[in-house]
Amino acid sequence: MRTKTRFRSSLFASFVAAFAVILLSLTVQAQTRVETLRQVTGNSVNTLDPTMPGSTREAFGISMHTYDRLVSFGRKPQGNGFIFDYDKIRGELAESYTVSPDGLKLTFKLKKDAKFHDGSPVTADDVKWSMDRHVTAKSLAASQIATGSLTKPEQFTVIDPLTFEVTLEKPDRFALPNLAVVYAIIINSKLAKSKATAEDPWAQSWLKDNTAGSGAYTIETFKPGEQVVLKRNEDWKGAIDGKPAPFKRIIMQTVPEAATRASLVEKGDADMSIDLSASDVLSLESKAKLKVVSTPQFNAFTMVAFNTKMAPFDNVKVRRAIAAALPYDDMFKAAIFQRGAPLFNGTWSGAPEKSVFPQTMPFKQDLAKAKALLTEAGFPNGFDTTFSFNVGSAPISEPMAALIKEALAKIGIKVEVQKLPDAQISTLVSEKKLPFLVENSIAWLPSTDYFFRVFFNGASRWNYSSWANEEIDALTKKAQFELDPAAYEKQAKRMIALAAEEVPLILLWQPNQDAVMAPSIEGYTYWFHRQVDFRDLSRKP
Amino acid sequence: MTTIGSIARRTGRRFVSSLPALLGVIIFTFILMRVLPGDPAVFFASGPNAGQAEIDDLRRQMGLDKSIPHQLALYLRDIGSGNLGRSLTTGQPVMADIRQRLPASLELTFTALVLALLLAVPLGICAAMRPGSLVDHAVRFACTLGVCVPTFVSGLLLIYTFYYLLGWAPDPTGRLDIFTTPPPRLTGFLLIDSLLARDGDVGRAAASQLILPAATMALFVLAPLARMTRASMLAVLGSDYIRTAEAMGLSRARVIIVYALRNALLPVLTIAGIVFSTMLGANVLVEKVFSWPGVASYALDALLSADYAPVQGFVLLMASIFVVVNLAIDVLYGLADPRIGIE
Repeated sequence: MRTKTRFRSSLFASFVAAFAVILLSLTVQAQTRVETLRQVTGNSVNTLDPTMPGSTREAFGISMHTYDRLVSFGRKPQGNGFIFDYDKIRGELAESYTVSPDGLKLTFKLKKDAKFHDGSPVTADDVKWSMDRHVTAKSLAASQIATGSLTKPEQFTVIDPLTFEVTLEKPDRFALPNLAVVYAIIINSKLAKSKATAEDPWAQSWLKDNTAGSGAYTIETFKPGEQVVLKRNEDWKGAIDGKPAPFKRIIMQTVPEAATRASLVEKGDADMSIDLSASDVLSLESKAKLKVVSTPQFNAFTMVAFNTKMAPFDNVKVRRAIAAALPYDDMFKAAIFQRGAPLFNGTWSGAPEKSVFPQTMPFKQDLAKAKALLTEAGFPNGFDTTFSFNVGSAPISEPMAALIKEALAKIGIKVEVQKLPDAQISTLVSEKKLPFLVENSIAWLPSTDYFFRVFFNGASRWNYSSWANEEIDALTKKAQFELDPAAYEKQAKRMIALAAEEVPLILLWQPNQDAVMAPSIEGYTYWFHRQVDFRDLSRKP
Repeated sequence: MTTIGSIARRTGRRFVSSLPALLGVIIFTFILMRVLPGDPAVFFASGPNAGQAEIDDLRRQMGLDKSIPHQLALYLRDIGSGNLGRSLTTGQPVMADIRQRLPASLELTFTALVLALLLAVPLGICAAMRPGSLVDHAVRFACTLGVCVPTFVSGLLLIYTFYYLLGWAPDPTGRLDIFTTPPPRLTGFLLIDSLLARDGDVGRAAASQLILPAATMALFVLAPLARMTRASMLAVLGSDYIRTAEAMGLSRARVIIVYALRNALLPVLTIAGIVFSTMLGANVLVEKVFSWPGVASYALDALLSADYAPVQGFVLLMASIFVVVNLAIDVLYGLADPRIGIE
């Protein structure tokens, strides 16, 4: 009898224990899910070193978490989210920084307790080695960082283990912001040097698949083309109140099909996505189950570019005629469902009121004026041309192309629409062989003269219209080193006025970045690199 | 023993004779990739301020500054040493990528083929037994429907029904639920690996991820298999030995399954081989829709960004698989019907 009771009670006890274990494992599972953020994206991470040629935008995003930079941009609220603040530069690895009055010396004091993932302290030697790498090694970093007059290792000096100094020949307004860009990562030099070889002194091949940073997260899994899993670095204390990043684990998963991404987010299996199709965003927004943060990409723009070196677009009147013939409002509706900030129908003429760029340009549809300009240019019966766009942007560009074709037919211009694969169009663009095309581009450092230097000047691929204007050339060179805000404003306005007068390209709009996320996710910020910075995010309990 | 020996000898001879074809495929793809418009150096040197200098550097790094015959010679030497080059889209060696992704594609294709055969053969037999009847028409209708609906439509439809509406299927994101720890990698086939690791949960998770994409693919290839079964069953059922067997009073089931089906399966086997190799390469849409990390979507991504090495590696892989599968089918053929040699 007694044995039987004992048996029963032990049976009962084991049941209770089993139940408790199940409950516990379920809570643990739920807890890890709450502390995990899962983002689904259509693209993939192809390297852990963002400076590798061919790095994807997603690889840039991941590097923001694995590496710290000396400085970082601030952020300011906008709508139901935040945007990055280009004018406010704060320390990241640097505790503080000073700029000498003549603007030629930037001095950085490093944080005392900053540590790399292997536990070694971050020193000025690491910073020096990293910056030397960025200006010397063959990578994407050199040409970017050179836009801030950072070109030679001699410019970087170690003052003491925690003090680092940058010397400039001229007071370049872009030197400091360039230390906050994606490429300006600070690498653990001892670790990297131990992996370097004679042919590869900067450990570029090792750093493709490994990280040597001090960032808020470490890599848990890296499967190129499939997923990256990040694990929180508990030693990183850069979040609010000097705490580690809010999420313990981040999963960034590649899901190529946009419709699948939308249902994953809608079902709550994924926490966020920033690259859903516009129609899915619209339907999710109308269901109001999820949070949608829409930010016009204020450092990007969609444009129609002419090849100003190719007839008939070398004639400014032809360009003006087309600028007066495009159906801006219809295109804005058909291509992006008006989800963005328009850059047409501006009301100013002559000189702009504001010095920011991109801003609304004084172009609107006026077919009579277009026809008259075309006749004046010597093409009363119009001409034939091709209009090109890349396959990747087809959902947006296809309706645009159809509308442009229709509108230009009204003034006698016959347009043949050409849809090209991405690699082919980039080749043709950089060889300057396309007469008339649509493109979407972005500048990391949204400053008027920077836009003009990159997109309106020089021989690079990004000068889509191959525009060469001596005044612009002189103005951009001057504005880069202009320390007087009033003089700078004048120069910027002049550049914008010239672009409106000469029409090397027609700005259309700044598309929104639509970040769709679970309603519990807070703190989303639109960044210059157009990726999610997970350090900003937290989950509302 | 002698049969096996002669089969092995013939197989070896067949394999050697397929080498020139493989070489031809390598050279053809190599030249085709370079003739196609689109310069990978320009595409990948896409940094915000990358100029001609960066493009030239990258071209040198990729060896594209050399003449095409020189590049080809280097490529053939590399293939000889098992190096297929490096992919710029994933940043990994092509060989490593393929080793990682081929099992995913094979597992999916195998499952789909088995599923398709399990459905198609009985359907074909049913249709052949009563040609022109309602059953025959129903089978024909089902097959036509399977072929007509593009795989990405049927795939999305299955996802919508079973994942979004009913919630029966797990989220369609790859081979394993993201929160499940994969079994230690031995073969790369998750079903086999989880079996070897005696991990039933992982095996179930992997199988549940596999069902929808495999069903999507199976639906698409149902038609050739079922139609072929029907046609060859019809031919066999009309032959003398079947009539003899029926006249001898053998049971209907025995006549159909043992005497008719065994002989009717030969052409089905051939078709199955071709279907298998085609599915492996051509199912890029299924892989995309279900985020399946397979070789076909890998090759497509590379092709779009003019990334030469992975595309060449993929075509070589597909050609080799074609050779191996056809060889295997021929061997099976020889076993099934000793009258057929494989010379």
